[in-house]
Amino acid sequence: MSHTYSAIGWNRQKRLYDGVVVAGVILYLALFAGVGALVHPNATIETLLIRGLGTCALLLLHVILLIGPLCRLQPQLLPLLYNRRHLGVTMFLVALAHGVFSLIQFHALGDLSPLVSLFVSNTRYDSLANFPFQPLGFIALLILFLMAATSHDFWLANLTAPVWKRLHMLVYVAYGLIVAHVVLGVLQAETSPWLAILLGSGLLAVLGLHLWAGYRERHHDQELAAPNHDGWVDVCAVKDIPANRACIATVAGERIAVFKYEGKVSALSNVCQHQNGPLGEGEIIDGCVTCPWHGYQYLPDTGASPPPFTEKVPTFNVKIVNERVFVDPCPNAPGTRVEPALVSNE
Amino acid sequence: MNPSEQREFYIGYLSQAPRGIRRWMRAAVIALLSLVVLVALWVVWGQQKFAASRFEFGTVREFSGVIQASPYPVLLVGTGADKSAVRYTLVAPGKHGADALVSPFAGQSVRLRGTLIYRDDLQMIEVEPDSLQPAQLDGRLPAAPETLGSLTLFGEIVDSKCYLGVMNPGHTKPHRECAANCIRGGIPPLFVVRDGDGKSAVLWLTGAQGEGFQGEALRQLLDVVAEPVSITGEVSRVDGQLFLRAAPASIRRIP
Repeated sequence: MSHTYSAIGWNRQKRLYDGVVVAGVILYLALFAGVGALVHPNATIETLLIRGLGTCALLLLHVILLIGPLCRLQPQLLPLLYNRRHLGVTMFLVALAHGVFSLIQFHALGDLSPLVSLFVSNTRYDSLANFPFQPLGFIALLILFLMAATSHDFWLANLTAPVWKRLHMLVYVAYGLIVAHVVLGVLQAETSPWLAILLGSGLLAVLGLHLWAGYRERHHDQELAAPNHDGWVDVCAVKDIPANRACIATVAGERIAVFKYEGKVSALSNVCQHQNGPLGEGEIIDGCVTCPWHGYQYLPDTGASPPPFTEKVPTFNVKIVNERVFVDPCPNAPGTRVEPALVSNE
Repeated sequence: MNPSEQREFYIGYLSQAPRGIRRWMRAAVIALLSLVVLVALWVVWGQQKFAASRFEFGTVREFSGVIQASPYPVLLVGTGADKSAVRYTLVAPGKHGADALVSPFAGQSVRLRGTLIYRDDLQMIEVEPDSLQPAQLDGRLPAAPETLGSLTLFGEIVDSKCYLGVMNPGHTKPHRECAANCIRGGIPPLFVVRDGDGKSAVLWLTGAQGEGFQGEALRQLLDVVAEPVSITGEVSRVDGQLFLRAAPASIRRIP
């Protein structure tokens, strides 16, 4: 958490994270090129490089896409999410190297400009089996560039979290394009089923874990509060909220985090202003609601980050009646102070 | 949610993660690195075998022989007492044919420098521009073609330079755009035919009159490069190499 922008706000956890990522990429490329050269002595180094970089980027993309649902299902894995942006930028750089080498290999040194050749050398857009697969990879690379270029809190703050989040949801479009790029490209030439089985397993894992995590959340949302006749919503019993943590209630389609701390109860939006992280899965630390994704903090009664930070989330009026917590579903403007409800027996 | 439940909470900007989460992370890192090893080896072994083709990149040799310019540039090198010839098809660097380089020397004996490309019985030279020099040699004229008849063959049109060794693999769909660029640039097309047992034969593909492909004929050829096609035409053999003379209209896609 920082109130000024720097290229990278380094800390020990990020260094550890990036060290593992770089080691993994080097390990993959070294194994692919080294063992590849032994198993396939007739393969050219350009082919090994292009295939190694491409499959490495695809593996990284799968890991990136799996981290989200894995953390929803198993919160102990949240450190994987903490620096996922660096993983994304690494994946883009590896994919870029794959794209540049391929462009040189297949399109350079001819009569046409490589970028023109990319789109006109195969015009079988009317055939699925012969469909030009390279432009699909190129468009995916453009999307990944857009994401990597805006993968910084400067852009997050200036684009606003919802816009930034929507932009970065394009990763699923890029993933679809890349799967099509592989299926309509190299898999059309390979005779062994093992590569198709591997890609299919990755696709199944991404789809399956997203559906599973989505089902769990949807199931949880449906168990939560429904609007009440007097305008307040009964969200939970006071005793159901662990100390310094929250109960999450879905009211009128919005998730509200109801925190209990120091004998008080406050309610604020469940959506962190940083990257839409689930504040209700965070904790009160040093008197502040702390987001589980990147540690952004908010005062529970105002929804505002402590100075000098400027992030604010909406707050909700809250009251306790007969040991049950009631929330007014109309949100207050972000940063509006709301008097906490007092817990009678604490 | 159980209010009495104790849990660890991770904050990335703190120097140390809680002990239980550190254990999870160690397991996750081991799992991920194992996945890296598994996927790398899986993909390496999952690829089909690469053909024994070679491009002697960085090794420049000197050659001498007689230039045959049509339909595609060839250096005929006489060998042995009977002057049987070895045919070296000539190409220029990059995705370009060598027509412009050899045309002033058509029918003449020359010396040239270049890099060897070869696969099975076919050999090719990537000629170094400006290396061709007239030479006084006991040259050899092209042999007369041996006609083998009219046939319909099934296979794939590739560019000869990549197929013979500059790229490996230099055929099938992933290579289609490159093959189109090479053939457009004047690299001679080859027709790769496989029989039911997977044995392959390659034929130099020319127009119906034995000419190279230009204009509309070239456009029609580029449209079907790297696709499964059938071609009906006249097959002949020259110096042990097969040729297929066919009009572009006789090239049909195999659905």
